[in-house]
Amino acid sequence: MDFLFSYIVLAEIYVLLGLSTNLLVGIAGIFSVSQAAVFGVGAYLVAHFMMAADPLSFIPSMLIAAACCVALNILVTLPSLRVSGDYFVVTSFGIQLLATAVFTNWAQGTGGANGLPGIPPPDLFGWPVETTGRYVLLCTLFAGLGCLAFWLIMRAPFGRLVRAIREDETAVAAAGKNVLRAKVSAAALAGAFAGTAGGLYATFLSFIDPSSFDLDASILLLTMVVVGGARTLAGSVIGPFLLLALPQLLTLVDIPTTIAAAARQLIYGLLLIVFMLFRPQGLAGERL
Amino acid sequence: MLALQLLATGLVTGCALGVVAISFSLVYATTKIFHVAHAGIYTMGGYLAWSMVMYGVPFLIALLVAMVACTAAGALIQNQLYARLERRRATHLVVLIASLGALAVIQNIIAAVYTPNILQFPVNWSSRMMAFGPVRLNYTQVLTIVVSLLAYGATMLFAHRTILGKRIRAVASNPMLAGITRLQPQTVYVYVIAIASALVCLPGVLVPLDLGLQPYNGVTPLLTATIAMIAGGVGSITGAFVLSVGIAVVQNLSLLVMPGEWSIGVTFFIFVIFMLFRPTGLFAAR
Amino acid sequence: MRASFIGAVAFVAGLVLAGLPADAETIRFGGILPLTGPGALIGTAEMRGVQFAVDQANAKGGIRGNQIDVLFEDNQAKPDQSILSFNKLTDLQHVSVIFTGYSGPTLAMAPLATRKKVLLVNAGAQADGLAKASPYLINTLPTIGGEIEVISQWAVSAGKKKAGILFENGAAGMAGRDDYLKSFADAGGSIVAQEASQFGQTDFRPALLKIADAKPDIMLVVITAGLLQMAQEYKQLDLKFTVAGTTFFADPTVIADPAATGFVHTQLQIDAPPDLAAQFKAKYGADMEFFAKQYYNAAQIILITLDKVLADKKSVSGETMHDALFEIRKFQGLIPLEFKTNTASVPMDINVMKDGKDVLLKEVKLQ
Repeated sequence: MDFLFSYIVLAEIYVLLGLSTNLLVGIAGIFSVSQAAVFGVGAYLVAHFMMAADPLSFIPSMLIAAACCVALNILVTLPSLRVSGDYFVVTSFGIQLLATAVFTNWAQGTGGANGLPGIPPPDLFGWPVETTGRYVLLCTLFAGLGCLAFWLIMRAPFGRLVRAIREDETAVAAAGKNVLRAKVSAAALAGAFAGTAGGLYATFLSFIDPSSFDLDASILLLTMVVVGGARTLAGSVIGPFLLLALPQLLTLVDIPTTIAAAARQLIYGLLLIVFMLFRPQGLAGERL
Repeated sequence: MLALQLLATGLVTGCALGVVAISFSLVYATTKIFHVAHAGIYTMGGYLAWSMVMYGVPFLIALLVAMVACTAAGALIQNQLYARLERRRATHLVVLIASLGALAVIQNIIAAVYTPNILQFPVNWSSRMMAFGPVRLNYTQVLTIVVSLLAYGATMLFAHRTILGKRIRAVASNPMLAGITRLQPQTVYVYVIAIASALVCLPGVLVPLDLGLQPYNGVTPLLTATIAMIAGGVGSITGAFVLSVGIAVVQNLSLLVMPGEWSIGVTFFIFVIFMLFRPTGLFAAR
Repeated sequence: MRASFIGAVAFVAGLVLAGLPADAETIRFGGILPLTGPGALIGTAEMRGVQFAVDQANAKGGIRGNQIDVLFEDNQAKPDQSILSFNKLTDLQHVSVIFTGYSGPTLAMAPLATRKKVLLVNAGAQADGLAKASPYLINTLPTIGGEIEVISQWAVSAGKKKAGILFENGAAGMAGRDDYLKSFADAGGSIVAQEASQFGQTDFRPALLKIADAKPDIMLVVITAGLLQMAQEYKQLDLKFTVAGTTFFADPTVIADPAATGFVHTQLQIDAPPDLAAQFKAKYGADMEFFAKQYYNAAQIILITLDKVLADKKSVSGETMHDALFEIRKFQGLIPLEFKTNTASVPMDINVMKDGKDVLLKEVKLQ
């Protein structure tokens, strides 16, 4: 069962990240490609606090990490107030690469490219989460809370405001709404989701290194959101579950071993193209 | 001495990068497509030329044939993928993901056919050395600088002096109006991507001639070139080229003052700050 | 709703199918290696080494009549994919032994290996942390620290007391750099410069130039890819210091290239007999280079161990394999090696490259 469980756990962690990305990219229209960097900061912070000489337990570590990621995400999305559209995309690329450089080279803080091994498993008020089965419960709880929050927000006036900003920012501002505050709030929430996901990821794997938080990871997140369906809750859930399973499903295709891996990546690329051609709104998305 | 030699190698890298940047800039300024698959075309050009040289085709002919093949591949991507997406009114994000898919397809076909090993061009003149005072460069590096500058000049001439060039710039500045005035933006897009693909084939062959071929090695240059293009100001060919050279030189010279592992990080840090204060780029069209 | 429910069922069924055993006659091992992405170069060589050894055994009728099948998973050198692959192989295929490479993924899987008692076999990664990561992780080659100690002592005793380090900005490179910083100082030398190169990049010129500027007697190199390009750039820039490294230097294309003349390196003794290397080349169209040999060797160790487990009429599990391996302890695969701890000790040479050949400089006995 561990295989199915570990798949569910990772998928649920990516659901939180999908929600985070969807909030920014799909809903607020802040096209960020640096969500993996925020995710990484969350992971490293939780690892740091739980492995410190005077260790904190799981919940306080998660709270601190989430708070820091809220602040960080506001900071990294700030440029979107000043530069818009494609310019922000590239600025965001820059932020992502900068973060990767820090994760890789700041050896004292992050273990550098060697990564940080031996992160202890979480402990919920004396209930140790050591088996994969318990992990499923823990992650389902967090992912469920995330989904609930997302659903509530989308129904609230705030959700309509943020969506309106994406459609026409000038009009919203002209209508006397506070665009700045709405954008910052969306960024804050997205940061909290990403930070929480980071903490879960670090404790589940017990080992983290920069390769999980690089540009590829950010792009994978975007792909998950687009394939699942931007701007909807269902999309943020379906995307991660599907895209994490895809490599596993592709191993069903029988190919000579020497070129199997490249061939599978090739099929993945083809699927992406076909999907974008024939269902660009994603499996469960609104029309983009 | 160290500074001079670093400056020279930075110039070489920067010139090659500059051609990637102007080719990407042509595509992006005109079609507004974030054409990531361009990195695949870059890689493909190198591998095609390598195959031909392996079969005894003279280098120059191999380069030209590879350029033709890249042109065709680029046009095919526009015609079969981007044009279809456009007809379906796909958003930028959707086109980007489709382009990523195309990149994965190209890279992995290459990896499956050629293996992921680093391949070297079997030509013996490429590593012969030339000395310019204290600076030592090999033939390939000198050739890279010369060809890149020529490519830059040719692109400028093309964009400003030819009818097609003017038509491209017209479409770039206002696709809607261009459509009404029967400039046929969709046809122009095919031309643009075809031309850009031929251009990007130059560094795609010359850089591996010096440093070897790897199937997944096109993304980093493309990303750096994109940043150069944005910092230079979208639509400015000179801006893209100059900023590419600038970034590569700064990355090389930064070694004088800090450890190399931080040079990429610092470059991007400067870039992010720069974007905050001059978001439209250095050479922005007014 | 109904359609999506059926879709979901089919999807889960597919996931489970993705890992169901095909038939019951064969014994299955796993391999979790980077087969795409920048790590694919080494990962593919490693996969071929294992596959080659297993194919040979199968062609001879298998191990005590049992055919062996190795299921390879692509982890793209990423820890989370490795965990998924690990759980998939152990849960659905019930493999008892998994071949791995690359430090990060191996360190990520090590706690799981301990918990599930699955034998992890690493024959490529040399990060020092691997030595004690898990009782169920065995390394068929020493961590990089041992080799670095040997080459550092040799350098200082040869009068090359000022060194520059060229390291790859990745796990293996940074671990190597740290070992050099320590070992070279312990041997009585000093490090005058250290420069990084980016993983997957083959432009070493800026780093080489900066190291040259510090005027070292010797440059200590820890990179995992692009050595040939580095050698050529070194030659083109007309640099004069000695270049030294570890077993990774033993790449036939590098040794054959005149640019690498004078490169000194430690060499874990591992050599494929010429006819074996020729068969390998005929099968894969590639030379049987270092990692292919190492994984061939590691696969042989596992096959010998399996033979013992079957001879003892025990069931094949990670635990029995682990115990049998330490009972045998001394193996004669491509090389003689011994497991005093989880990490094998292997005899070592110091070689210098000369006229397209690797020439023995000094032999270092098994400690």
